[in-house]
Amino acid sequence: MPASPAPAFPAELFPGRRCLRAAGCLLLVAACVPAVAQDTPQFTREQLDFFESRIRPVLAEHCLECHSADSRPLQGGLRLDSRAGVVQGGDSGPAAVPGQPDSSLLLKALRHDGYEMPPAGKLADSIVADFESWIRMGLPDPRTANAPAAQRSIDIAAGREHWAFRPVSDPPVPAVKSADQSLDPIDGFILAELERRGLQPAEEADRYTLLRRVSLDLTGLPPTPEDIASFVADETPKAFETVVDRLLNSRAFAERWARHWLDLTGYADQVGTSNEVFAEHAWRYRDYVIEAFHTDKPWDRFVIEQLAGDLLPITDPAERAAALTATGFLLVGDVEIVNPDKLKLETDHIDFQLQRIGAAFMGMTLGCARCHDHKFDPIALDDYYALAGTLRSTISTRRIDHGIWSGLNVVELPETPEQTALREQALAEHRRRMEELRAEQQRLQQEQSAATGTAEQPAGEQLENIRKRLRQLGTEITHAEFFAPAVPRAFAVQDAAGPVDMPVAIRGNPYAEGRRIPRGVLRVAAWDAGPVMPAGQSGRLELARWLADPRNPLTARVTVNRIWQKLFGEGLVRSVDYFGTRGELPSHPQLLDHLASRFMRSGWSQKSLIRALVLSRTWRQASRGHSATLAVAESIDPENRLLWKMPVRRLEAEAIRDSLLAVSGELQPCAGGPGLPLEYPENTGNLQPKSVNPPSFSLRRYRPEQEFQRTIYLPVVRSAQRGPAELRDLFDFIQPNGISGRRAETIAATQALYLLNNELPRKRAAALAERLAVDASETAARLELLWLRVHGRPITADERRDADDFLQAAGEPAEAWTELCHSLLGSNEFLHRK
Amino acid sequence: MDGLAVPIPRRRSLQRAACGFGAVAFSGLLHAAEAKASGPGAHFPAKAKRVIFLFMQGGPSQADLFDPKEFIQQRHGQPIDSPLSKNVLQVGTEKFLALGTAIPVRPRGNCGMPISDLLPGLASIADEICLLRGMNADNPQHMPAELQLHTGALNDIRPSMGSWISYGLGNENQNLPGFITINPHADVRYHGSAWLPAQHQGTRLTAAASAETPPIENLRNLSRDSAAQRRRLDFLQRQNQRLQQQYPHEQSLQGMIDAMELAFRMQSTTPSLVDLAGETQATLDMYGVGGSDTDRNARACLLARRLSEAGVRFVQVTMGGWDHHGDIRGNLPRLCAQTDRPVAALIRDLRQRGLLDDTLVIWCGEFGRTPWSQDLSGTAPIDSHGREHQPESFCAWMAGGGVKQGLVYGETDHMGYRAISGRVHLHDLHATLLHLLGIDHTRLTWNHIGRDYRLTDVYGSVVHDILQS
Repeated sequence: MPASPAPAFPAELFPGRRCLRAAGCLLLVAACVPAVAQDTPQFTREQLDFFESRIRPVLAEHCLECHSADSRPLQGGLRLDSRAGVVQGGDSGPAAVPGQPDSSLLLKALRHDGYEMPPAGKLADSIVADFESWIRMGLPDPRTANAPAAQRSIDIAAGREHWAFRPVSDPPVPAVKSADQSLDPIDGFILAELERRGLQPAEEADRYTLLRRVSLDLTGLPPTPEDIASFVADETPKAFETVVDRLLNSRAFAERWARHWLDLTGYADQVGTSNEVFAEHAWRYRDYVIEAFHTDKPWDRFVIEQLAGDLLPITDPAERAAALTATGFLLVGDVEIVNPDKLKLETDHIDFQLQRIGAAFMGMTLGCARCHDHKFDPIALDDYYALAGTLRSTISTRRIDHGIWSGLNVVELPETPEQTALREQALAEHRRRMEELRAEQQRLQQEQSAATGTAEQPAGEQLENIRKRLRQLGTEITHAEFFAPAVPRAFAVQDAAGPVDMPVAIRGNPYAEGRRIPRGVLRVAAWDAGPVMPAGQSGRLELARWLADPRNPLTARVTVNRIWQKLFGEGLVRSVDYFGTRGELPSHPQLLDHLASRFMRSGWSQKSLIRALVLSRTWRQASRGHSATLAVAESIDPENRLLWKMPVRRLEAEAIRDSLLAVSGELQPCAGGPGLPLEYPENTGNLQPKSVNPPSFSLRRYRPEQEFQRTIYLPVVRSAQRGPAELRDLFDFIQPNGISGRRAETIAATQALYLLNNELPRKRAAALAERLAVDASETAARLELLWLRVHGRPITADERRDADDFLQAAGEPAEAWTELCHSLLGSNEFLHRK
Repeated sequence: MDGLAVPIPRRRSLQRAACGFGAVAFSGLLHAAEAKASGPGAHFPAKAKRVIFLFMQGGPSQADLFDPKEFIQQRHGQPIDSPLSKNVLQVGTEKFLALGTAIPVRPRGNCGMPISDLLPGLASIADEICLLRGMNADNPQHMPAELQLHTGALNDIRPSMGSWISYGLGNENQNLPGFITINPHADVRYHGSAWLPAQHQGTRLTAAASAETPPIENLRNLSRDSAAQRRRLDFLQRQNQRLQQQYPHEQSLQGMIDAMELAFRMQSTTPSLVDLAGETQATLDMYGVGGSDTDRNARACLLARRLSEAGVRFVQVTMGGWDHHGDIRGNLPRLCAQTDRPVAALIRDLRQRGLLDDTLVIWCGEFGRTPWSQDLSGTAPIDSHGREHQPESFCAWMAGGGVKQGLVYGETDHMGYRAISGRVHLHDLHATLLHLLGIDHTRLTWNHIGRDYRLTDVYGSVVHDILQS
C-alpha cells in the first residue's frame, strides 16, 4: 500500500522530514487577492430597497442553490451570494457589468440568449426586467460577507526544489568500515547507514533459502530438486552468479516481471465499464511486454514505444508490429466506451491515459490538474492540457456504426511472409469449413420444410432435432464468420488528421472551452523549454523522448525504485507510484540516484540492474537480523527501512498458483496468445454485426490446458471467477483495470478456506503425491523429495518424525500422501519466501 | 501524509485474524491501525449503527412507481419536446413520445405518500419511509452509474461504500465481517475494497434455497471426513508453528495461523448463520419464503435482517431486473411482485424487533427511467414501449436509522425529467448515510497515491432536511 501511516519510523532517522514537506507546500502556493472586492460603491436607500424586495428573493429562490458558497458543486464557478461574486463572475467571465445590462451574461441567461437560466424554466418577463434595472443601477447590493476565495497560482521554479525534480546525481560510494561485507556499491550505501546507527547487516542466507528466494523473485517459480542439488554442489565462487544468469535468461523471468508492468496499465481482456465486451486483441500487448522483458529491451526504448511506437521510423515488419502493439499501453484497461456523449468520452479517456502516464513513468498524479491547479504539487492546469493536447491529437477510440457505443482503435499489423503464408492456409481451411456448415444448413432446412410440409405428423422428436441443430448451426456460422482468419490486428493508437492544441475544459466540462494550451511536457520536471511540438504530428513522440531522456529527473528514479521494491518488498521511496510533495522521502536518496544513473549508463538495461541487485550482499541477507544488533535494530527501525535483514514476503497470487503447478509437475509452457477462449461459441454472446450493442462474451469454459498454464496467460475480466483464476481474486490480485505499482498484502479467512477446501490445491496435491510415488519408492526418500520440491530444503529430523506419524494415521497410502502434500501446500513456508 | 485521517477504534484482532471472515492487513497497514487504536469511534453520536442497502439494479421506473406526471399522462403516445442536450446520442427514443403509467399511483398512509398499486406492501408502511424524489446521478449507463452508486466514482477503481463503513466503524461482531453482500452482481468492484485493506471488502453470500449451494465458496471439506481434514490442518499448523518460532516478529505468519483456525470453524458456523429453520412460520410467510415469485428475495431480505441483528455493519441485497427498455407495462408488475413483499416485510420485521430505529434501510437503483418512451424495434405500439435510463432524476427511499418518517422529499419538473427541489445527488446520499452513522464524510479519508480520497470525492452534502431532530 502506498498509503503511508503516521511515520512509525523513528523521527530521528529522518530529521526535518515533516518540515520539508510543509515548506514544500508553502513554496508552491502564492496567494493573489482578487481585485474586485475592494471598491464597493455607495448606494441610496431606495436602490438597496429595490435589491431587497425585487432581486434578493429571486436570487434566493432560483439561483443560490447552485451559485453560493454552500453549493456543492458550485455550478460554473459562479457565486451570486455577494456583489463581489456577481462582478467577479465564474468560468465564463463576469456575471454582470455594473451599468451595462447588455454586456451582462446574467441577463442573457435570464433571457435564454445563449445560456438558459434557471434550468427549471424561464422566469417571468417582469422579473427579467427587474434584473435589467438592477444592473443599470450599478448592482446595488449590500452583501459583502462571503467574498469569493483568493485564487492560487503555481510557482514552477520553487517546485523544482522538491527532491524528485532535481537532476539525477551520481554520488560517490560512501566508505564503510566493514568493506568485506560490500560486494557492490549498493552495499556501500546500505552499510554506511547501518554503521551510522551501530547496526550490522544480517548474516548471508543459507544456500537453500537463497536459491528459493532468487528463483521466486526472478521467475515466480520455486527451484527444482535438480536446481538445488547443482547449486549446493557448486563450490566455484561464481556459483550464485551462474544461477542468477540462468534465471534471468529464462522465459519464466519475463513471465513474472511483465506482470509487474501490467499492474501499472490496468490490463484487462475486457473493454470498458459496461456489458461484457471482449478486448479481442489485448493479449498482443501482454505478449509484447513479455517479449520486451525477455529480450531486455532498453527501458528508454520501451518507454518511447509505449507512447509513440507508431511514430517510430521502422521498416522491419516484426519490429514495426511490436512498436504498434506497444501503444496498446494507452488503450488496455478501462475505457468507458458506452458514453453516448462522444466528446465527453474522449476527454474522460484522455484523463485516464494521463493518469496512467503520470503514475507509471513520472510517479505523479496528473488527474487533479484537469479541473484546477494541483493542490500540493507544482502541476498547473496548463501542464495538464499541454500533455493532454498530444492525446487529443491522437485517435484512441472510434464510434461503432450502430447504436451509441465506441470501440478501441484497431490497426492492422504488418505480417512477415511466414505469417502471411500461415494465414492463407488458415483461410483456406476456414472457407472449406464454411462450405461444410452451409451445406449442412441447407440440407437440414430442406429436411425441415419437407417434414413440416407432409400431411402425416412426422416424428416430433426428429423435427425437434433438426430445429435444434439448425439453431446451433446458425450460431456456429456467425461465430466462424466473425472470427475468420484475418491479418493480425492490435489495439493501437494513431495520430489524428489535424493535430491540435487542447483548450482548457473549464471544471472538466469539455463544452466549456477555455484558452488553448500549446502542447508540451510537465514543466516542473523539464530541464529546458521542453521539446518543440511538430506541426503535423500529435507530439506523442516528443513527449515520449522527453520522458526517456537521461536528463528527465523522474523516469529512471521511478523505474529503479519499482525494481527495488519488487526485490526488497518496499521501495527506497515507499510510495512507489507517487514521488510528489506528499509522497514519502527516499530512505537512501543517494542510493536511489546511484541506481538511476547506473541504470541509464548501462543502456537502461533492466536485467543488468536486477542482476546487480540480487548479487549484492544486501539482498543476500538472511531474514533474521544479526544476533549482535538485533534488539537495537528492532527498537530503532522496526520497519526495516535501513535493511538490516531481508523481509519475509507472502507470494503474489500468480506465484502461488504457478508454484503449485510447478511442484506438482503439471505446469505447461505457453507461448502466449488470446487469454479468452473465444474460439468456443459458448463463450461468446451476441456477435451480430448490426446489433446496437458491441460483441460480447461470457466466460463459461476454459481451454483444458489453461488449467496448467502460468497465471499471466489467464484472461483478466471484471466478474468474480471460478476455475483457474479464482485464486487471483482472493490473494490481492490487482482489481481489473486498477493501477498500482505495489499490491496489497492481506490475510483473510477466505484465503485459508481456499487453501483448505478448493479443488485447485487438492488436485495439485494429488498430482504431487502420484509424482512422488513414481520418483521414490521408500517413504524416507519420498519425504526427502517432497520437502525439496515444496520448501526447497531438506526435511529435518523433527519433521520426518511428524510426517511418519501423520502417514501412519492417515490411512491407505495414496490418500495419506495426498493429505500430506495438501497440508504442505497450504503451509506458510510454501506461501512465503524468506 | 497521515493515512488514517479518522481516529477509529481498532481491535486487537487486527493482529490476530479473529475478525470473522475478515482479514488482517500487515506491513504498513498494521502500523496505521495500531497508531490510531485509541481514538473515538466516530466524529459525533450516531443515529444508525448499521445499514441495509437494497440495491434495485437496472433502474426502477420512478415515473410508474412514485412520481407520475399529469403532463405526461395527458399526452400518452404523443410527441413532447426533448429536454436533452443535442450532444447525447439516442437509440429508440428519437420520437420522444410521452408514456403514461397504466397502474394508478395513490396517496398512502397518514402522510399521503404517492405509491403505485404495484407496491401494496410498501404502501402499507408508507408512514415508516422517507421518499426521495429528487435523486440524481451523473451517468446514463448501467456500469458507470452502478459504480457511482457503490463507490462514488464513475470509472476509477475506488472502495465501495460498504468497505468505507467497515473501515470507518469496524465490526460490531468480531465473528462476522463488517460488510456482507447477498446475491451480489458478479462485478467485484461493487463490493471491492480497492486500495482500502482487503479485510473491508464485501463477503459474497448466496441466499440459496437448497443445501447443495453453499452460501460462501470453499466451505466443503475435500478430505474423507472432518477428522481427516483436522489431522491435515493440525500437521499444517505444526509446520507453521515451527516457522513462526524462527521468525517471531513476522505478523503475516501468525495472521495466517489464526486465519486457518477461523476458516476451519467457519465450515460449521456459516451454514447455521444462513439456516432459516429457527424462524417462525409467520415470519417466513411475511417475507414470502417459498412463494413462487418472492422466494429468492424473501430469503435474501430475511438473511439481511439476521445479519444486521447479529451486528454486521453493512448488508447489501441486490435485486436485479429493473432495466425495462421494452414493454414496461408487462414487465414492471412482475418485478414488483418479486420484491414488494420481502422488502415491506423487512421493514416490518425490523420494526417489530426494535431494530429499525438504529438500522438504516436504503432502497435505490443506479438511476431512474425517462418519462418518454423507448422502442428499440421502431415499430411496436406505444403500450408495449419501455423507458430509457434517466440519471437526471429518480426516486429512492430510506427508512429507520434517524431518517424522518412519512416524508416526501423533493420534486421534479412538469414532465418528471429534472429535479427542481430537494435535489439529492448520489454523493449527498453517501454523505447523509455516513452522517447518520456518526461520520463526517469530509473527514473519512484514505491516502492513496499521494491523495486523501473520500467516498464522496470532493462533493456531497448531508441532506439535513430528511433527518430526525
